[in-house]
Amino acid sequence: MADLPHGIRRAFRLALRRPPIEQEVDAEIDFHLEMRVAELVERGMTPEAALAEARRRFGDTHEWRVAMSAVDRERVARSERAEWLSDLRQDLRFGARSALRAPLFTLLAVLTLALGIGANAAVFGVVKSVLLDALPYTDADRLVRVYGRFLDGSNDRGPLSAGTVTDIAQRQRSLVGTAAFATLPRESILSGGDEPRVVRVEWAEPKLFRVLGVNAALGRTLRDDDAVGDTAFTVMVTYDAWQQLLGGDPGVVGGTIRINGISRTVAGVLPRGFVGPGGDVDFYYPLDVRLLLRDPISARGSGWLGLVGRLEPGVTADAARSEIAAIGADLAREYPRDNGSITLSTVRLRDSMAGDTRAPLLVLMASAGLVLLITCANLAAALLSRTISRRKEFAVRVALGAGQGRLVRQLLTESALLAFVGGVAGIALAALGLSMLRRLASRALPSYADLSLDPGALVFTFVLALLTGIAFGLMPALSARRSNTQSTLRDESRGASESRQSRRLRGVLVAAQIALCVSLLAGAGLLIRSLAALTSASLGFDPGGVLSVNVQLPADSYRSPEQQENFFERLEEQLRALPGVTGVADASALPTAVMQRNGIRVIGAPPPSDNVLPFALYANVSDDYFRTMEIPLRSGRVFGREDAADAPPTVIISESMARRFWPKGDALGAQLRMGPDPNSTPLTVVGIAGDVRNDPARPDAEPITYVSERQDVRPSRFLFVRTSGDPLALVRPIRSALASLDPNVPMRNAIPLSAFLSDALTGRRLPVVLMTAFGALALLLASVGVYAMFAAMAAAREQEFGIRVALGSTPREIASLVLRQGGVWMVAGLVGGAAGVVVVARLVSGLLYGVRPFDPVTLGVTLLAVVACAVVALLVPVRRATRVDPITTLR
Amino acid sequence: MDLLKGTLDVLVLKALTWGPRHGYAVARWIEDATTGQLQVEDGALYHALHRLEKQGWVESEWGVSEANRRARYYTLTRAGRRQLAAKTATWTRYAEAVFAALRTA
Repeated sequence: MADLPHGIRRAFRLALRRPPIEQEVDAEIDFHLEMRVAELVERGMTPEAALAEARRRFGDTHEWRVAMSAVDRERVARSERAEWLSDLRQDLRFGARSALRAPLFTLLAVLTLALGIGANAAVFGVVKSVLLDALPYTDADRLVRVYGRFLDGSNDRGPLSAGTVTDIAQRQRSLVGTAAFATLPRESILSGGDEPRVVRVEWAEPKLFRVLGVNAALGRTLRDDDAVGDTAFTVMVTYDAWQQLLGGDPGVVGGTIRINGISRTVAGVLPRGFVGPGGDVDFYYPLDVRLLLRDPISARGSGWLGLVGRLEPGVTADAARSEIAAIGADLAREYPRDNGSITLSTVRLRDSMAGDTRAPLLVLMASAGLVLLITCANLAAALLSRTISRRKEFAVRVALGAGQGRLVRQLLTESALLAFVGGVAGIALAALGLSMLRRLASRALPSYADLSLDPGALVFTFVLALLTGIAFGLMPALSARRSNTQSTLRDESRGASESRQSRRLRGVLVAAQIALCVSLLAGAGLLIRSLAALTSASLGFDPGGVLSVNVQLPADSYRSPEQQENFFERLEEQLRALPGVTGVADASALPTAVMQRNGIRVIGAPPPSDNVLPFALYANVSDDYFRTMEIPLRSGRVFGREDAADAPPTVIISESMARRFWPKGDALGAQLRMGPDPNSTPLTVVGIAGDVRNDPARPDAEPITYVSERQDVRPSRFLFVRTSGDPLALVRPIRSALASLDPNVPMRNAIPLSAFLSDALTGRRLPVVLMTAFGALALLLASVGVYAMFAAMAAAREQEFGIRVALGSTPREIASLVLRQGGVWMVAGLVGGAAGVVVVARLVSGLLYGVRPFDPVTLGVTLLAVVACAVVALLVPVRRATRVDPITTLR
Repeated sequence: MDLLKGTLDVLVLKALTWGPRHGYAVARWIEDATTGQLQVEDGALYHALHRLEKQGWVESEWGVSEANRRARYYTLTRAGRRQLAAKTATWTRYAEAVFAALRTA
């Protein structure tokens, strides 16, 4: 072997085994001395004298020997580095060439990886920006939010009253600071630009910014002495509002702007990216909670405040939770009328802001993880069969003297190359996916999440890609090492067959893919069924053909309720005259988006046990509301002129409300009190309307009360215009009707109700769509895996089948042979899938409505789908096996 | 006469311009060419050969000598040839300059 010509060595990259450096140097020196001695002897010296002279001329032999060896060692090290690099270049070139030689395999591997990695990078990007990224506050993990939990179960994250907020702030010891803010931003009108603009304003205690640890980007944040009286003369503007509403002019700081006709000084601009715990708003007004305490009813009876606090150093969130819960229990004893119906719950601010997105996101992350696992299994199987088909190539190289380490390295380089390309493609896919998600999911995710592919997520995914490639490149590489060169070359001249080991490995991989696929599909199926249950059930009204528009009257020019009512009556009169319009109504809130809840006291009924006041939704509506929205009236009447402001108060209730409070069916004509004041004027039930599901994401309807807008006039209303044509075509006529009445009244949020509802369901739809996509992906990948397994199996036994056919086996017998061998693994996969379904069902159970976690329909369809795909995938190879021609295979 | 710094390298390169030679042949050529005027240890010469190989100016390979003995043969590389040309030019200019200066009476 040592005498192979140099060219062949180079061609096959065989290593030259070099003798140790010192030996070479010694040999060289010996040769020199011998030659010198010979020369000197020739000139007539005695051999002894010649040797002495030669040594003298050479100098210190030992010293030179050391010096030469040192130089050589450096040279060898340097050339080894160069060789390593050139080997790498060659491996890469070779890898690329062999990848191109098997384009199908390469495409499959790269695509598989890209999909798996793309899905993961995209979902991880979302998860990171929602659940992991820092909130826009200092040390945000030490911030908590306190909620009122309504004991009747109507609201787990309810607002607090001013009295409760004050008591918590004074009694608690586990928080450094607390700050209250209004949970519902108000809409107000900013004038001064080209046209009046509706802006969102939130009242907040000035110390809110201190508690959150947020400084002003420009100017200053609010100070305690800014909160004077009931009017905000000093305001804080958010960055986006400053840019969009005030033109980003630094000069506005310290200057004045007009909101609702009152001049207010801008104290400062909040930093970019800041989102308050109450959500997105444009302006912050300074709030003095003490002013709210003046009136006993508003002090404790009505709750519209949120509370955030910063944990005292060393205090855990759990400790704060139990302390505040205890304060809540004390308050319930001290103020049974107002606090008896709620308990106080404390949650981390992040959990509060991530809200309901946590569970779906974790489900998505888990799904993406499953897809990645399937990806890995698929890639491993593909690399494995590729290695098997290349065994002879490797055997030839080993026989020619290639080191086995060199082969392993070659394989690793190839799979890392694949992983790299797959990773790059995956990141491109992820970027695409995220931009899709940004459009699809902006409403479903908290507003602080920016949904970007951040460097961390990219690095994470890329490392994942490389590790996958290397880990699964290593497996075939090691099996290539073990393979016996001689037997490979000698016995398998007719084509490679699989070893028992690699067959089992492949079987396990396929079984794992099937199991993962079944779990994922079952989860997706359950989510689809819940969504179907939600969307197919009637909402209780007909949103089709209705345009909704928000109209806000400026408070300075429409001061009295009469003026406001008068305006809306005249406007609606004009709208009714528009062509195609079949109904016009208005209400204080969009159906399915009613926020306000009131405590209910039924007159004549015994007071609720343990003082738990039940709550019901509250909306005030115009006379035509029920007719326009097509909410059926079950009994009684709708509102009319008789429900004037000075007439006895009346109320219309929903069916579920009637059932709940008047189980005997005597609701009509009964009386109830609403709101915090136990001595308020009773309202008489004059009608019972059909149920409206206020939360389209829930299948059951919450009790709701309606009051005539004549008896509770509000300056901001939602108009509903039903038309026989396209609702969007109404936007322009409505705008001109409004302008003809008063050009200073802005209108906004014109949207067809059906579009609004579809948006409202986005949060539900998102996990369903994504998980279904992941499920489909998994099914595709698993089918490919099944196909590859059967194809390799059938190919490996082609000769055997040829013999069998020659000996008289029927195609049916051949087919059953193949099926029996592969079927075991498929069954194993399905059994594993059953275990996976249990896990997945538990994972998604919180997201299910109207369907049980082990829904037989879902499970049946899932199994059928997987089995059907597997059957399709195995048909081709099995058919090929049965058509084996003994003459060609045995020749 | 002691050797000036850097002289040995250029002489070794020069010795290899007529084809591959082993170290002893290089030593003999230098002795002949300088008529034995230069005092240089043979060890230093070998050290220079190895240094030049590390620089990539010469390559070595084991071969068989005239006397049928295994010997290490050194060959000038393309880079070595370029280096020799450059050094030759520098040395010539240098020597001429010094010579001219010393000539002036």
